Formats: sequence, structure tokens, C-alpha cells
Amino acid sequence: MSKKSRRSGAPRQPAAATPADLPATPVAAPVPEPVPEPEPEPVRPIRVLHEVTPEPVSESALRTLMRDWRRGRATRHLWDMIQDGYVAVLATVMIGAMLVSVVIRAQGAVSACTSEGCLSSRTLLPWAALCGVLALTLMVSRIFGPVVASAAEGFWLMEAPIKRARILWGRLISVMAGAIVVAALFGGLVAALSGSTWSGVVRWAVAAGLGAGGLTAVAAEEQTADRTWVVRTLQWLVGVVGLAALMTVVAVAAGWLPNAGVFASNENRFDLVVSVAGAVLLVGAGAVAVLRLDEIRRARLVSGGSLVAGMQGAMYALDMSLMRDILVERDAIARGHVRPTKGHGTGLAALVYRDAQRLVRFPKQLILLLLSIVVPYAVGALGLGALSPVISGLVLLTAVVPLLGMMRVLSRTGGLARAFPFSTAQVRTAAMVVPAIATLVWVVAVTPAFLGLGTGSSHLSGADATIHAGVTGLAGLLGAVRWVTAKPPDYNKPMMQMGGFGAMPPGMIGNLIKGIDIVALVTLPILFGWSYWISVIIAGIAFFILRGSMNMNDLAAAQEEQKRQLDQAKTEAGLAKKKIPPPRR
Amino acid sequence: MAKQRTPVLKVSKLSKAYGSHAIVTDFSLEVWAGDAVALTGRNGAGKSTILRCLVGADKADGGTIEVCGNKLRESDPAIRRDLATVIDDLDFFPDLSVVEHLDLLARAHGLPDAEEAVDDVLHEVQLVAQSGQLPGTLSSGQRRRLALATAFVRPRKLLILDEPEQRLDVEGVEWLAKRLKAEREAGLAIVMASHEPTLVDAVATKTIRVGA
Repeated sequence: MSKKSRRSGAPRQPAAATPADLPATPVAAPVPEPVPEPEPEPVRPIRVLHEVTPEPVSESALRTLMRDWRRGRATRHLWDMIQDGYVAVLATVMIGAMLVSVVIRAQGAVSACTSEGCLSSRTLLPWAALCGVLALTLMVSRIFGPVVASAAEGFWLMEAPIKRARILWGRLISVMAGAIVVAALFGGLVAALSGSTWSGVVRWAVAAGLGAGGLTAVAAEEQTADRTWVVRTLQWLVGVVGLAALMTVVAVAAGWLPNAGVFASNENRFDLVVSVAGAVLLVGAGAVAVLRLDEIRRARLVSGGSLVAGMQGAMYALDMSLMRDILVERDAIARGHVRPTKGHGTGLAALVYRDAQRLVRFPKQLILLLLSIVVPYAVGALGLGALSPVISGLVLLTAVVPLLGMMRVLSRTGGLARAFPFSTAQVRTAAMVVPAIATLVWVVAVTPAFLGLGTGSSHLSGADATIHAGVTGLAGLLGAVRWVTAKPPDYNKPMMQMGGFGAMPPGMIGNLIKGIDIVALVTLPILFGWSYWISVIIAGIAFFILRGSMNMNDLAAAQEEQKRQLDQAKTEAGLAKKKIPPPRR
Repeated sequence: MAKQRTPVLKVSKLSKAYGSHAIVTDFSLEVWAGDAVALTGRNGAGKSTILRCLVGADKADGGTIEVCGNKLRESDPAIRRDLATVIDDLDFFPDLSVVEHLDLLARAHGLPDAEEAVDDVLHEVQLVAQSGQLPGTLSSGQRRRLALATAFVRPRKLLILDEPEQRLDVEGVEWLAKRLKAEREAGLAIVMASHEPTLVDAVATKTIRVGA
């Protein structure tokens, strides 16, 4: 209870009288004044609502009302925020300028490369990126809606006698516009980084934008029909085409396919086809979706809205792991039921075996890992072999995270880990076994890329290439372990003042770079040309810490216990220092 | 029953505060094999805080806690082997079914007849029909039954439960009372916080009113 409510909540009781307070002579008790009885409230007639003729509701008036509520409750305007956060704004502008500069430089460097591998990458990587963007658009649209409503809107608005379409159509247009902008930026970026000409960058950006917008419209249209299989099928088809494009990059770079000329000749037509098809879908499917917005079930609208709210909460704390947890939980709920499998072994072996069973049960967790095998080859083909450990390590990090589901659950709350009769280090090591084996397979598969397969020139010996691939694998695996096990921001501790960013809980900024820091630490020595043993030693230290061998809580507890025993011994021996009170002024 | 020389749980002068607000001050307790201690008291009195300190989920500000003679360290395998807990921080693997959770725990604890033990517990908590379900799809009552099952499917010397009757139906509370009484009579030590008088009366050998 707050102090205020403590003060005002309960009626103040008169203090008990002490004998000293009592009067010496009895005094006649005051005669209580008669309290007049309150007059009964007049009985109001019961209003029977079904006899009332409802007036037509204006949806636009409702929208205006909602907007006024939101604006009326805002305590700060956007301009105030920008003024307060000018450091953040400046930092964003500076980082943005640096990124643009890096992209322009990389585009210049890569476009100068004329080897067969570079040509095939320049031709095919935008295809793969485009397909990736489109598949991602479909996936996100399916998971969220794409049309959503918050729980409050679902309860207060969607059940009212209104035409939902008039409330929802603006959202659909916004979502499609957002998809177009984001996809165009990404498509253009990949085209620039793979060395396309600036006109090519614009063409790929337009294709990605219109394609993503069109597919969002299709997903919305399917949402109105309460179906998901069409979007799922499209997502897989587009993903397979993207994978084929990536594999072709490797095949051409390795010399398994003659050259990329046949693809290059089709380049212009392909992006044009995607642009036109996207535009047609955007208009056609978008129009159908707008016309049928009323038919979207309230539960489906609100489901997407709750997911958005959960993701916003996780994003507010910059906790990407929590965002992934929400998606995994949602996926599991959608699946609902599995055919139970029998366990095997006892002790830690049972944990490892069950982790392997989970992977067999959900093999789609391996897709990203399989896709990431192509990355070192593609990076090498682009002539950026020196950067391969860093880039491939970062990609491997994201690919290994889905395999660390067991470790994630065992480290996010202590309850389940406490149920197992093992130390934290034992549990984490057991949970690392299956992902480590998968990473080892990845290392074997990418070693030829470090040998220079497909680039036409090899600057590493067989042993060095194996070690470089191994260090990259270690970096990705340990980065993923760090990403999964890092503690979220602690809101119980005092906030820290972060200049123009305002107050933040400890650990929030660290959350942004968790995992990336380990990959950088392990792979940068190789990038700088130092001995790879430095990388191996750093990886060893990271492993030691990440597996929980150095539990800071236990160390602090041991230190406290030692201090307590020392104080006790001093007291017993009469050697404890006499505390001198501070001088009184 | 003849008492052992070492108590299963020994708490001396436990104290815990959140900021400047003291929740628990100088709380001491000894629990021997066959004892069942119930913590009762109003909401916010500090029952759950005491239990969270006892299992190592929260760090006490002062005092000592020993489980079977070992100083409490949450990640100590010996402590984890002896201590079964059902408090509010229990989590489940989203992609393992009900029966697989229990099987994994039984095997991890090295039970020689894991499958039999799992079957028995599944029947007891009435989750046979849900054995293939993933935890996210269980109702809140079923999740509570699964949480209790995770404590019953494994060997233990001390059982710590925070309001175990929560979300259970009337039959469920009756079953739980019988089960905990049987556990106590078999020599298990129990510490639980509860607001359910029938459960406390049936199970507890000692009741401590926290915050009184």
C-alpha cells in the first residue's frame, strides 16, 4: 500500500487515552445529537435497452474520437522528444551516414571485381535476396495478420454495430506501404553490396518493394478468407527459389556450372516480371482484401494485436531473445500436440538425447543452418574472403540460435534448471552438445570455402583453412550461446542516466550487442592477421564463462561467507577493531 | 519415527528486504524428516519470499540456510538432488509434451524404472489424456498438475511448495492433501505456503503464521 493510500485509506482512529490523560472527576457524557436518516433515493425507471432504436454509428467519428483520446493523453509531443533526445538523433544520423558511405565504398570495390565468381554473385545474389525478402514478408504477414487490432479495440470496437472495414482499411494500406518501403530498402542494399550498377540497384529495389507489397496484399486477402495454406505454400516456393539461387552462386563460383551468363541475360526480365506481378497483386488482391475486411474474425485480428503488443514490450527492453520466445511459444501452441517419443539413457545423457529428439521432431530449425553454409562461399565469390570469418560467424550465430532451445529454457528462469540434479555448468554443457555437433558439420561443409574453392585463388593452406573454419564455427556457436543465455535488463536495479537517451536499466545497451560481441572478439584477431591461437584462447575463455563455470553469484556468496567467518574469528579472539564514533559537532 | 541427527532444512536468522522495506526478519526454522511445516498469513506477509530464499531463487540479505547439512547454493547438484520445488518460477520446454517432461526428469535423476514412475504419476495427476499435449496448450489447472508431477516423479528429501492448491479444483485439493500426507508419513520433509485450511490441517505438523 502506498503512503498516500495508507494515510487516506483507513479512517483515523482516536489515540488510546492514558491514565494521565483521564480527568480527575467524572464528567457527564455529552448527549449525542440525533443523526437524521438519509432520504431514500427516488426509484428510477428501468431502461429496457432492446426497446431503444439504435442510431447509426459513424466509423469515421469513432476513428476521430480514438485519435483525440490518444492525442489528449499524450504528455509529450514528437518535437519535444526529438529535442530531448538530440544526442540519439545525431548518433542515428551519423551512423546512417557512415553506413551509406560503407555501402558506396563496398559497391565500388565489389563492382571492380571481374572474376567468374564475382560476376555470378553480382547476377544471382539479388535474386536470392529478393526471394528471401519475399519469403520473410509472407512469414511475417502470416504470423501477425497482416491486419491487426489491439485487445481493447477487439473488445470495445469490433463487437460494436459498425463496419469494421472502415476502421481497418487504413491499417491495411499502412502495412502494405511499410512492406514496400522496407523491402525496397533491403533489396536495393543487397544489390548495391553485390556490385550492381546504380540503375540495377533501383530496379531490384522496385522489384523487392512491389513484390513484398503484392504478397502482403495476398496475405491480407487470405486473412479475410481465414486461410493460411496458400501463404504457407507461397512462402516455401519463394524460399526454395531463393535457396536455388544461392546454390547456383556456389556452383558457378566452384566451377560446377559453366558461367552465370544465362542468368545474367535474364536479369532484366526477372526483376521486371516481379515488379509487374507485384503491382498487379498489390492492386488486385489489395482491392479484394479491402472489400472483404469485414469478414476477418475478431479472434484473428486480436491474436495478431496481442502478438504485436508482446513484441513491443520485448522491443522496449531491447530483448530479442524474449521476442523469439514469444514466437516459439506461439508456434508450439499452434501445433498443440505431438506424438510422444520415448527417452533414452539416464543423467546428462538423457538431456542430450532429448535435445536430439527435439531437433528431429522440428527439423525446420536446421533450415537456417543449411542455408548459412552458402554464406562463406558467397562471400568468397564476391572477393571478400578476408571478411569471411566475421560475416560467416555472424550469420552462423543466427542459424545456431534455433538449435539452442533447450539451453534457452534452462537459463531464462531458474525453476526448471533447479529440477535437474546437475550444476549450471553441467546443464549448459549438455545443452550445447547437439548444437556443437551441428556446428561441426557446418565447419566441415564450409572448409572448402576457406580454401578458396571457386574464387580461383587460395591464400590459405589446408590446415589454416580448417582452423579458420573452426574458429568461425566456434565464434558462431559461442555467440549464439551468449545470445541465448544473456540476462535481460534488470528493472529492479537503479536506472542509469544515458545522456540524450534518458534513463535506462543496466544491461539494456548490452542486450543489443549480445552475441555479436563474442563473434567479434573471436574472429577479429584473424581479420587483423594475428595468430589464430589468440582466437582459440579467447574462444576458450568465452566457453569457460558462458557455460556458467564462473558463477558470479556463487563467487560473491563465497566471498561474503569468508568475510563473515573472518569477522567471527576476530570477534572471538577479541581482535575486532573497536568502532570509533564520529566526532559530534 | 526416530529423528536423524541432521535436520533436512535448517534456517537461521533469515532476513530479506526489498529496498528499505524489510519483508522477513530473523526467521529461523528447523525441519526434520517426516515434518510438514505450513506457512500461513495474509497476502504480502512474506511467505513466498521465504520460500524463494529457501530454494535459492532469491538471495537472502542475512542468515544461513542448510539443506541436509549442506549450505544452500542453488546450482549445487547435491542440493538440487535433495530439493524438489514448485514455486512460481517453474518453466516448461515449449516443444516437449507433458509425458516427455516427466520422462526427462525421471531419467535425469537416474530412476531405473523411469517409464513406470512416469505412468504412475501421470495417472495420479490425471494428465493421461493430455500426455501428448505441449505445455502451452494446457489449462492453468493442468499446468499446475504438471508442475506438481515434476516434483513427484523424481526422488527428493525436501519438498517446497508455494500455494500448491492454486488453480486446482476441489477434487484436486483433496487428492493433493492425501498425497502430501502420504509423503510426510513416508519420511519426506515438506515446507509449504498455503491459504487452504483443509490442506494445512490435513498435512501440516507445524503451522507458522508469517507476519503475525
